[in-house]
Amino acid sequence: MPSVKGKGMESKNSADLTLEEISKKLEAGNGKQYYRSLDEVAGTPEFRKFLEDEFPNRSTLLSMDRRQFLKVMGASLALAGLSGCRFLPQEKIVPYVKAPEDIIPGKSLRYATAMVRRGEALGLVVESKMGRPTKIEGNDLHPASLGSTDVFAQAELLTLYDPDRGRNVLNEGQIATYDEFLKAAREALAAAKSPRIVTDRVASPTLRNQLQALVKAHPGAEWIEWEPFNDDSALEGSVLAFGSPYETVYDLSQAEAIVSLDCSLFDEGPWSVRMARDFASGRKIEGSEAKMNRLYVFESGVTTAGLSADHRFTVKSSEVVDIARQLVMALSDLEADGPFDAATIREIAADLIARNGKAVVVAGAHQPAELHAIACHINHAIGAIGRAVQYRPTDRKPLRTGATKLAAELAGGRVDWMLTISANPLSTLPQADGLKEAYKKVPFTAVAALYEDETAAESKWYVPLAHFLEAWSDAEARDGTASIIQPLILPLHNAVPVHELVASISGKPQPAYDIVKGFWVAKGAGEKWEKALHDGVISPAKPTEAPKPVGGIGPAGSAAFGFEVNLRPDPTIDDGRYANNGWLQELPKPITTVTWDNTVQMSLNTAQRLGVKNEDVVEVTVGQSRVEGPVWIVPGHADDSVTLHAGYGRTKCGRVGEGVGFNVYPLMAGGAIAEGSVKKLGKAHPIAAAQTHHSMEGRDIVRVGSIEEYKHNPSLEPHDAHHAKKGLTLYNDEQFKNDSQQWGMSIDLNACIGCNACTIACQAENNIPVVGKDQVRNGREMHWIRIDHYFSVKNGRFEHVVQPVACQHCEDAPCEPVCPVAATVHSHEGLNQMVYNRCVGTRYCSNNCPYKVRRFNFLNYQYNQKNFDKKDDIPLLKLLNNPDVTVRSRGVMEKCTYCVQRINEARIEAKKQLRKVKDGEIVTACQQACPTQAIVFGDVSDPNSRVSKARAEERSYKLLEVLNTKPRTSYSAKLRNPNPRIKA
Amino acid sequence: MSESRVIEPLIEGKQTYETITEQISSVVSKQKEHPKAWFAMFLIGFFLVNMLLVSVTYLIYKGIGIWGNNQPVAWSFDIINFVWWIGIGHAGTLISAILLLLKQEWRTSINRFAEAMTIFAVMCAGMYPLLHTGRPWVAYWLFPYPNILAMWPQFRSPLIWDVFAVSTYMTVSILFWYVGLVPDLATLRDRLVFKPARYLCGMLSLGWRGAASHWKRYEAAYIVLAGLSTPLVLSVHSIVSFDFAVSLLPGWQTTIFPPYFVAGAVYAGFAMVLTFMVPLRALYKIENLVTMRHIDWMCKIMLTTGLIVFYGYIMEVFYAWYSANPFEQYLMHNRWYGPYAWAYWLLIFCNGVVPQILWSKKMRHHLPTVFVISLVVGLGMWLERFIIIPVSLHRDFLPSSWGMYTPTVWDFGLFFGTIGFFIMMMFLFIRFVPMISIFEVRELWYRMSHRKKHAEPVKVGVNE
Repeated sequence: MPSVKGKGMESKNSADLTLEEISKKLEAGNGKQYYRSLDEVAGTPEFRKFLEDEFPNRSTLLSMDRRQFLKVMGASLALAGLSGCRFLPQEKIVPYVKAPEDIIPGKSLRYATAMVRRGEALGLVVESKMGRPTKIEGNDLHPASLGSTDVFAQAELLTLYDPDRGRNVLNEGQIATYDEFLKAAREALAAAKSPRIVTDRVASPTLRNQLQALVKAHPGAEWIEWEPFNDDSALEGSVLAFGSPYETVYDLSQAEAIVSLDCSLFDEGPWSVRMARDFASGRKIEGSEAKMNRLYVFESGVTTAGLSADHRFTVKSSEVVDIARQLVMALSDLEADGPFDAATIREIAADLIARNGKAVVVAGAHQPAELHAIACHINHAIGAIGRAVQYRPTDRKPLRTGATKLAAELAGGRVDWMLTISANPLSTLPQADGLKEAYKKVPFTAVAALYEDETAAESKWYVPLAHFLEAWSDAEARDGTASIIQPLILPLHNAVPVHELVASISGKPQPAYDIVKGFWVAKGAGEKWEKALHDGVISPAKPTEAPKPVGGIGPAGSAAFGFEVNLRPDPTIDDGRYANNGWLQELPKPITTVTWDNTVQMSLNTAQRLGVKNEDVVEVTVGQSRVEGPVWIVPGHADDSVTLHAGYGRTKCGRVGEGVGFNVYPLMAGGAIAEGSVKKLGKAHPIAAAQTHHSMEGRDIVRVGSIEEYKHNPSLEPHDAHHAKKGLTLYNDEQFKNDSQQWGMSIDLNACIGCNACTIACQAENNIPVVGKDQVRNGREMHWIRIDHYFSVKNGRFEHVVQPVACQHCEDAPCEPVCPVAATVHSHEGLNQMVYNRCVGTRYCSNNCPYKVRRFNFLNYQYNQKNFDKKDDIPLLKLLNNPDVTVRSRGVMEKCTYCVQRINEARIEAKKQLRKVKDGEIVTACQQACPTQAIVFGDVSDPNSRVSKARAEERSYKLLEVLNTKPRTSYSAKLRNPNPRIKA
Repeated sequence: MSESRVIEPLIEGKQTYETITEQISSVVSKQKEHPKAWFAMFLIGFFLVNMLLVSVTYLIYKGIGIWGNNQPVAWSFDIINFVWWIGIGHAGTLISAILLLLKQEWRTSINRFAEAMTIFAVMCAGMYPLLHTGRPWVAYWLFPYPNILAMWPQFRSPLIWDVFAVSTYMTVSILFWYVGLVPDLATLRDRLVFKPARYLCGMLSLGWRGAASHWKRYEAAYIVLAGLSTPLVLSVHSIVSFDFAVSLLPGWQTTIFPPYFVAGAVYAGFAMVLTFMVPLRALYKIENLVTMRHIDWMCKIMLTTGLIVFYGYIMEVFYAWYSANPFEQYLMHNRWYGPYAWAYWLLIFCNGVVPQILWSKKMRHHLPTVFVISLVVGLGMWLERFIIIPVSLHRDFLPSSWGMYTPTVWDFGLFFGTIGFFIMMMFLFIRFVPMISIFEVRELWYRMSHRKKHAEPVKVGVNE
């Protein structure tokens, strides 16, 4: 609406305009000014009043002549158009008068930032397309990431655009304003005697500073951090061993022998991304020189660490402390009697000693402090400290103490002001259910979080918190490296950055940017601010001195539990914070491939003893608490032991996650490893597993062998494999004999740990929809790259292997000749391309694909998502789509494209510079995310490319090579490095 | 064949041209005397057609996700039913074309009926390839037509061959049926009382006056069409079988498929003719025209083709063993012992065991038995496609991708809907079109009754 006022037009404030006056005004304008005049007339308050009166100046209206009438009508129409702007969505297409710096339409920009999970940072580089964050990658310069990510980092993108995120400040469930909240919070705080601030584990030094200042300013105030899955045991263990608290920072690249004491190495917070990289780097095979690190794993459930292990020993989690003691005995040349075979323990001890300091023992976070203390002692004894493990001094306190105190205070009614930030205490505190009533009696309660969660539902106030991609902050990684969290977009809803919230409550409102920058300027980092933003690291880790253990290990504790119940964070939705993330809900969990549910995992023997099978519902009891959940049998699980994953059974988290799975937090009071029992109930709960058959049926699918076997038979091809002459053809293949580059991929099964990061990275990159539990149960999941899991039984032990499978881009692709409309064709660069626009959906290609990697849009998955409405939610979800990738409609086939959009981008760039695409210039989404760098992509026609070298390896093979489809994706066989002195 | 042997006749009773014409055309001309059972059958068909319309509407609205198809079983009821219906049509073409060229006179009283069956069965079959596509509104891209995309269909795909095979089949079948109908339409034109019907028949009979020149041209045209149809009997189902044989899937990739599919098609087709004919000949009192001798011979053809099909099953087992291909061997193992083993063994029972009853002449003449066997064979041939399509797909090369298939209510809705369409169309045909070729039966009567005089050897018997 033009704001230019007409000449000499002064609005009368009180007097009503008559028609004559309006006409006069209209006549004053002429020619080109005509329409402008209409708007001007319409814009005056007098004229609005005139129109709002249904029959204004009735007599004069009748006496008006035709021309005047039309003019007035035109004015009222213009006004109708203007008032329409208030409620119709405004869509203006306006070119930039002054374009923002750096933005070139169609080109993406990348910004370094970081995310925080369980109080630790993971450095990221986020891609922005025309102002929208569309893809999250790891930051090469950040020590926790080294360029890779875990599944959670990839899926944060969906959380950013999640339509269920809190959008408004709420007071008792009613929309309120932020100012009202601040007023209420500050007034209540001024009057409060014992205010409490509950947060998740804070990784931000700035926020820590702010909160400490806030607590200091209010006598009686306390700040409590709470994470249901934390590293308390490691902290307490270091206190037991060294006398003061230390952070445990592993560097597995320095370890030739690794003993995992019930540690899910690759799934213990953001640092696990680094651990996976280091572990895999010690297993790279160059030529026939097979030198690899060796991983011993003691665990009850099967984890990604267990399936990567050279020796996986199935033990109960409650036995592990005693096994660690045995190891100590064996290292000290004493009798190593205990629950585990002493001879084996002695061999492990000998192996650790023989490595001359290049060995490490890793303890699981859920194990008691005692075990961590023992691990500290062993690491000292074998000389690992300073090499494969660093102990970094810290002043952090175990979270459990504060949380227990808070629970007691709440129950006792001693809290009169409580602000919760990003924690969900009413759901995750031990005995949380009992606290609900007490919490409601607290005079002032407020929750600031991404979602309106269970705690928010019981609180008086809720404030939507900004996502990390929406607000400035900073964060520390496990090794102490600090990064600046750089936002890429303004808050999508009325969300508040956490620093601004705390500052405002403190009475010193300030923008988050100023707070964070001010903190670092004060620390003397002001000069390198720009570089820190670019690199994603503002303060690198400092080397620390190796602490010396004090005293010995404690006396032997209690015996193993008769029947143990293990609680672990979920491998895909963590402690429940990602419950509303459809990508993570639908991501098949490692080993079980279960989606959209948590299960009671147990061994085959235990299931037989209990008389249950998959999907039967059982009751799990620990102490007085009981939960009900469906059984899932995991071969290789310890007997008389069950594993339950937390994070499910949310009652308030958004439309995707509510009512999915069962809540295991009621059992948490007994600890992560507890004595309990399981009872069969006569019910069943359907489970959607992405894979239902886990036996290779004796087929040559995943090649795996020991180093010994590799030396004798480098191809590791099974001797009884179905032999057929390879490469037979009736025609000389001229198709790829041109000068274009030929794309191919190689996947090193020896590096793959089955973490699923590739699957979800692909989902984010390629706009792959979520289909829901029912569809997954019917085998219609859409993931372009999947992790196949198989197990075999060797010498009475279950051996697990995994294999990522995406389209193999066969040179003689069976899908192509059967398509009736030529919707799937080959490019001269060797890509098997899918032309969505041409596809009519006969699905013949899928039938004829021996790898079954094609995915069909049976329904309109992209825009008919069950939980979301089309008017409001779906448009929001559209924002996360990658504009370089077509969004597929119902009825068309789709599959892995080798990230053709990335190939094209690199090719265009190369052509501009009149050169070929360089090796490593194209990085596919799966390759980029892979923490172990198992995936290599490049030009197979160039013998010097990394992919060609990988394909030339003796252990390289093609999947189902006997079919002569000539896949462009090759696999390198998996090797195990068992200790020859340990009898299996 | 000895002269003394009593051979069952092809036309029973004392007949003249007039009686034959009257008997057949009265079904059409005397609408008021139509049996009540017709209405019952028509209503069943009509009800199921409504189900068909609902199923198709919902299918197009939602997408084929409403079916049970999934990964890895991307084809199931859609293609099973397509192949099943195409197969059923084959009896008509075989009877019309091949038996005509072989001068098998017994075909005359069933060919019209069987040809109508062919047309309606192909209509049912034709719905599936269209509806089973993910985007049926662009299914016309399967046709080679000039377009601004400058795109041809992809001629290496067997689905394109299907498009040609089925559309040719449909066209030739309709032409053949209609040309054969022209003299009878003229007869109706002359006999009907109801004027609009007379006009309609008059137009459709293309001015047929029964002149010798007409007959001459007619005979020439009919023989040419028969010649055109003959290869179709073999080619259509061979091409349909290529949908499978061309692939590399164990259980599909089999060289025996073309002959085995053709035999199966004829087998299913004759079963369907019998399923209709046995009750209809009683209902419309045409036992004198469709005699026990017809039934007997149709049973014999069923037995023969059934044995060929069963031989196919045995050869599949042989291939699995002889190929030494573990994927083929596992396929057989899965058919025998896998989760769908019940379907395989039911198939062997339906198509392998039950038809052996037809070795007995007594059983061939026991109409209830023949009727039940024809139904069992219909089911068996459906199961055969079930075994070939979803059961081969659900466990192929990589065990990680194995899955199960369960049809939904919409799968059955569409299937029973097409059965309803078929029933409805057949009963409309029976009521409004002479279901037996009047002039051909008259010609047959002439030839049979004049043979004695010329002392020709009796090929077919007649009741004296």
